[in-house]
Amino acid sequence: MSKRELISGNEACALGALASGLRFFGGYPISPSSEISEILSSRLPRAGGVFVQMEDEMASLGSVIGASLGGLRAMTATSGPGFTLMQEHLGYASLAEIPCLVVDVMRVGPSTGVPTAPSQGDVMQARWGSHGDRGTVALSPASVEEVYNLTVHAFNIADRLRTPVVLMFDEVIGHMREGVELSPPAPEDLWGRPRPAGAPGPDFRAYAPNEQGVAQLPAFGDGYRFHVTGLFHDERGYPTTNPDLVRQALERLERKLDPIPAWLPPEKYHMTDADFVYVAYGAVSRVAREAVDRLREKGVAAGLYRPRVLWPVDEAALRKDLAKARTVVVAEMNRGQWVQVVSQALPPAIRVVSYGKTGGEPVTTDEMYGLAADLNLRSVKSS
Amino acid sequence: MWRKEIRLAGSGGQGLGLAAMVLADAALRAGLHATIMQSYGPEARGGASRADVTLSDQPIANPWFPAPRILLALSQKAWDRFSPKLGADALAIVDLDRVQGAQGANVWALPFERTARAELREKVAANMLALGALGVVLEHIPQEILAETAQSRAPKGFGQVNRTAVARGWQLMGDALGGIAHVESVGP
Repeated sequence: MSKRELISGNEACALGALASGLRFFGGYPISPSSEISEILSSRLPRAGGVFVQMEDEMASLGSVIGASLGGLRAMTATSGPGFTLMQEHLGYASLAEIPCLVVDVMRVGPSTGVPTAPSQGDVMQARWGSHGDRGTVALSPASVEEVYNLTVHAFNIADRLRTPVVLMFDEVIGHMREGVELSPPAPEDLWGRPRPAGAPGPDFRAYAPNEQGVAQLPAFGDGYRFHVTGLFHDERGYPTTNPDLVRQALERLERKLDPIPAWLPPEKYHMTDADFVYVAYGAVSRVAREAVDRLREKGVAAGLYRPRVLWPVDEAALRKDLAKARTVVVAEMNRGQWVQVVSQALPPAIRVVSYGKTGGEPVTTDEMYGLAADLNLRSVKSS
Repeated sequence: MWRKEIRLAGSGGQGLGLAAMVLADAALRAGLHATIMQSYGPEARGGASRADVTLSDQPIANPWFPAPRILLALSQKAWDRFSPKLGADALAIVDLDRVQGAQGANVWALPFERTARAELREKVAANMLALGALGVVLEHIPQEILAETAQSRAPKGFGQVNRTAVARGWQLMGDALGGIAHVESVGP
């Protein structure tokens, strides 16, 4: 008998968080992410953690930030309208270097949009939603199993680099149930936070970066005195307006995220000889994979490039990976967001096409396959 | 490749969500692949509710489909809403007393609720009777696995009822088809 369990993406997210050592969840349930809250509301307290339903999404992320400063692995889960309200605190967590996980199960927007209908419309908001320049981290799983695994990775990245991490997937991935066999992370697969350098005392510098450019804050209650603020700060954490310090800090906060794309490389399906490439993530990538199989049967050298990290982007690696392509179709459930990354990275000789489907209906395999015919790939058209 | 896209539709409370779980879980146990997409929001609380199940002997890339290949409709609303989308080669199974006007070579109207009430004394077991009927036409999930899954996933006190209901539904469909009442395991 199979050990595969029939679980949804949202369920896998909650289970992945518990397996990662989640100890605090503060949230405001919103469809299509509500099952994450629902499951954690009963399972997290039994695992020794704290679940709080907050009054709104701003307070939700505020409570998560507080718990994280106390040393706990902490998260919240939301959808578009709530994600918008969380932008202020995402910026704060970036600048103050507070690890946390924000799960955004995307539905059609703007505003309250179409509740429960799938979308990938929050991709650019994850990058630029908070004011000011800042590096951001956004991961995008494409299966129930990958939701589980990337939830674990998200906590690891958040802790090691002391940064907020956004795990974003569309409603199809969140609500879809499929048969999976989950493997919980081994203790050595769970990364910790940088340890504070130096003993408590007047010379202690919580924001002195380590070799990776990451601040080394103790947890509240560890016996250190230090200051946390959303103002630019010196190494002790006290506000500064010194332009050099501000520039250095801003640059360091972005640079410390550089290793992430190599930690979670993109999936390349039939890419070695592909000259017609779909770039897709989340539910759309599953359909693109089927289209690739069908195109290959027709003799078209098609491939799929599936980023698992949407932000930050390693532009040089992207350019190298897609160098052999003649046509690149970036398919998304939005009006063309990540396509901007691709078209910026690639030379003009490569044709980049945006296929954006909106309205709350997922892309179908027929549509994706037909797209190749529309782009004048003769061998498909003649069939 | 074997692949079936199945829509289980009815009104909220008829247990279509559970039926989808049992069907997909039984498929996994039979060595197949399965996905479920369920309707959320107000539909699941009393309107026309639905759960879409995809079964295949290959991994399933896309769990979403615009029109099903097989429709199970346990209410008039569900039939009216989803039957216009059925293709010519699609198959439908409906509750004989709940759905009017369902006709065609590929439409099977069977007395699920009536049988559940009369023989099992549980109107709510109609979903499991319907699932048994569905099992016959799917031809890839052995009756025993479907019945066993229905029993193990049943709400407390309904295990035996559900097991019996699957077997009875299987029989109803077998009789309707003219005696194909038992399908051996033909999974991969």
